[in-house]
Amino acid sequence: MTKVRVRRQDPDKRGGKPYLQTYEVDTPKGKTVLDVLREVRSSKDPTLGFRCSCNSAICGSCGMRINGQARLACSTQAQAMVDEFGELLIEPLGNMRPVKDLVVDMGPFWQSVMAVKPFLQHKGKEPAGLYPVNKAQMDFTKIARDCIFCGSCVSDCTSLEANPQYLGPAALAKAFKFAGDPRDDTTKERLLNYSKAHGIWDCDTCLYCNEVCPMGVKPMDAILHMREMAIEAGLVHTQGAKHALAFYDTVMEYGKVNEAFTAVNSLGVKMVSRNVARIFAGGAVTGKRPAVLKERLASMGQVDKLKRLVKESRRKHRG
Amino acid sequence: MPKHDVVVIGGGLAGASAALEARARGADVAIVTKLHPARSHSVAAMGGVNAALEEGDSWEGHAFDTVKGSDYLADQDAVEITCRLGKETVLRMDHWGTPFSRDEQGRMAHRPFGGHGMPRAYFAGDRTGLALMQTSLEQLFKANATIYEEVMAIDLVVHDNRFQGVVAYDVKSGEVLEIPAKAGVMCTGPAGRMYAKTTNALTCTGDGLGMVWRAGGALKDMEFVQFHPTTLHGPNVLITEAARGDGGIMLNARGERFMTKYAPKLLDLAPRDITSRAIQTEVNEGRGHPGGYVDLDLTMMGEAKIRERLPEVWEFAEKFAGVNAAKEYVPIEPGQHYIMGGIATDTQGATTIKGLWAAGECACVSLHGANRLGGNALLECLVYGKITGGHAAEFSKKQPAPPPSPPALQAAQRKVDTLLKAKGGENVQRLKDEMGAAMVEGVGVFREEDGMLRALTAVRQVKKRAQALAVGDPGKRFNYALVEALEMENLISLAEVIAYSALLRKESRGAHSRTDFPQRDDAEWLKHTLAWKRGEEIAVTYEPVRVTIFPPKERTY
Repeated sequence: MTKVRVRRQDPDKRGGKPYLQTYEVDTPKGKTVLDVLREVRSSKDPTLGFRCSCNSAICGSCGMRINGQARLACSTQAQAMVDEFGELLIEPLGNMRPVKDLVVDMGPFWQSVMAVKPFLQHKGKEPAGLYPVNKAQMDFTKIARDCIFCGSCVSDCTSLEANPQYLGPAALAKAFKFAGDPRDDTTKERLLNYSKAHGIWDCDTCLYCNEVCPMGVKPMDAILHMREMAIEAGLVHTQGAKHALAFYDTVMEYGKVNEAFTAVNSLGVKMVSRNVARIFAGGAVTGKRPAVLKERLASMGQVDKLKRLVKESRRKHRG
Repeated sequence: MPKHDVVVIGGGLAGASAALEARARGADVAIVTKLHPARSHSVAAMGGVNAALEEGDSWEGHAFDTVKGSDYLADQDAVEITCRLGKETVLRMDHWGTPFSRDEQGRMAHRPFGGHGMPRAYFAGDRTGLALMQTSLEQLFKANATIYEEVMAIDLVVHDNRFQGVVAYDVKSGEVLEIPAKAGVMCTGPAGRMYAKTTNALTCTGDGLGMVWRAGGALKDMEFVQFHPTTLHGPNVLITEAARGDGGIMLNARGERFMTKYAPKLLDLAPRDITSRAIQTEVNEGRGHPGGYVDLDLTMMGEAKIRERLPEVWEFAEKFAGVNAAKEYVPIEPGQHYIMGGIATDTQGATTIKGLWAAGECACVSLHGANRLGGNALLECLVYGKITGGHAAEFSKKQPAPPPSPPALQAAQRKVDTLLKAKGGENVQRLKDEMGAAMVEGVGVFREEDGMLRALTAVRQVKKRAQALAVGDPGKRFNYALVEALEMENLISLAEVIAYSALLRKESRGAHSRTDFPQRDDAEWLKHTLAWKRGEEIAVTYEPVRVTIFPPKERTY
């Protein structure tokens, strides 16, 4: 028998306070976490709340936090979890409000999705036949298309944890589906919108979204693509774009990040001078002091090689 | 109280299509779904959507294959409507943004499917249903459509056989509410959960069919249940037909390519009923693996090709069976997949209840007759969703708003309260398991009189015992124990209708394969079964099949 701990809460019970409840269930090979939960509900505790539907990892209903990471209960083998973590701990998704046990409020999730205008916007007349799009163009958005809205990426997103207003990885992956679709005629408007506060520049590129997605969607890659597209489209005056360009310029010039000049370029002289004392004071404590002198790396040849490689890989990636 | 011109019950591909069309025609429309539209089972459809788009193909070709595939039980006028609209329907979805797979020249990629004379299944990877559902959902967002999420319709409000709205249970709050409407469209999808082995979602419980049944509407051809030949042995997760379209072959335990015996020409791409029977015969005659399965060999494709063309198959084999499909065989067995029968409708999707239409898998128009071809279900959802949404909208313009119906609301509240307070000893899941096993055994791939009688008896016993259910959760919010009890009522009624209709049809046709009546009998049985609720009894009538273009012939592949 495996001890399964489930984080529960019910606004109508115990004043809505969360608590852990333990159930004992057999977990032979082949039994999924969803099988475990269904067994609990049908034979031990009918009050246990969780969503599920397809049981085939395609409807996105059963996203939950299993041993600290967002996963689909229906495609997670229970015993494999016990083998790896020594227990089975099931909790609701993170960054969302639990409404009963493992059921979370998806309302804000859908609002974020709606905010990116998640539909094709074509101006002018539609073609008589198919849209003329070739394989490479069509495949560009492949990394964003298989989203099943399970909320796993949102649950484990560290940027959202810091800023609940951030649009989040699921909505931005959806945004890329259209920003990168050659059939859409509003690419620049989209990029401008997505570049505003709480958009593409808020991602701290921790990579968790890519890692936890059960469908192989890569929200972070989608976000990085859109940053690049935004800059290429000339949307260089947003805070995020300025910051990125400042990094880019200093690396191109000196072969490494020159923090002092990066800060001046991205935040402006005024902001930096106001905070200069703090920057140096902080440096004294951590032993990390911004280099003020314009030191160039001795071996710029290797940096040039690196630049070439970056350019080539970008070309390859964009078809 | 909310009020609408048109209420669409179910938010899948058919429901979304119906709602979008009704809205485009100016009706105030609302979708009522016990899930969120994004969770609908349409997302599980994998391989493709059919249309005659290629040079050398025609709607007539598509129609002929569909009629032949149906074993001539399909109504040919409905087939004609659907196949003629195939092209514009697929183009509409492309224009709305569905990322159909393309080739280097920008043409849409397509693949062959079982029973089709031409490759005409268009796809988006092996996640075509997901792609189409996403596009439909995007259009619903764009239209800012009204959606009652996680609100489960319990019963229709019908007076004098005239639709007036629905009563529903809000899963989020526990409230029972009435949603009056001038017209309704049933789009509640599959109903396969009365079978223990099924590819259907846990929520595919035939709620729409159950509601129409209780309201006195007719169910048509319920004996025709499709068993998908290739479901993963054990969890019955669907392995798409595209796996065979892309080169996969089936082998028995002796390593023989057994389809050479059953369909010498089409081999592994024979229609689903024939293929399922072939597998079941191999197993029954001792040439399957212990536990009752055969092998699907994809190894010749190599890892790269499997992962590119069949990413989901790759993943399912790995996650649900621990199999590396590039090196090992995938264990497969037939499982319930689709019900060709459903809410009886005319060629335009109108049910036998005035003001109520039905589309998609819950309906029987009948496009699929005795056996559905792969790729035709997604098309049906899109085509008939749109047609019925349009009719419902136009109808609603000429109707006054129906008055609310306090008795219907009270009855629904009583139903919920009774279940919540029930202190009986019967467990829903246990009853479902018993019924599921009886249906697989008696009304499965092969059927004969004694087996069907045993199944019918078992279902009736389950029905009796279900009078004393124990829900066990008195809670208001997200009470899924209650939801499952409500679903169970629908499943039991439908299981009984399936077994009874099957018992009466004394022939073999399409998916209805009787060992005691192995021949198709056009003289006696070229007709549709209509089942009606008469008190606690089932009354059956028959209506002729509409044969317009293709006279019935023997069906060989």
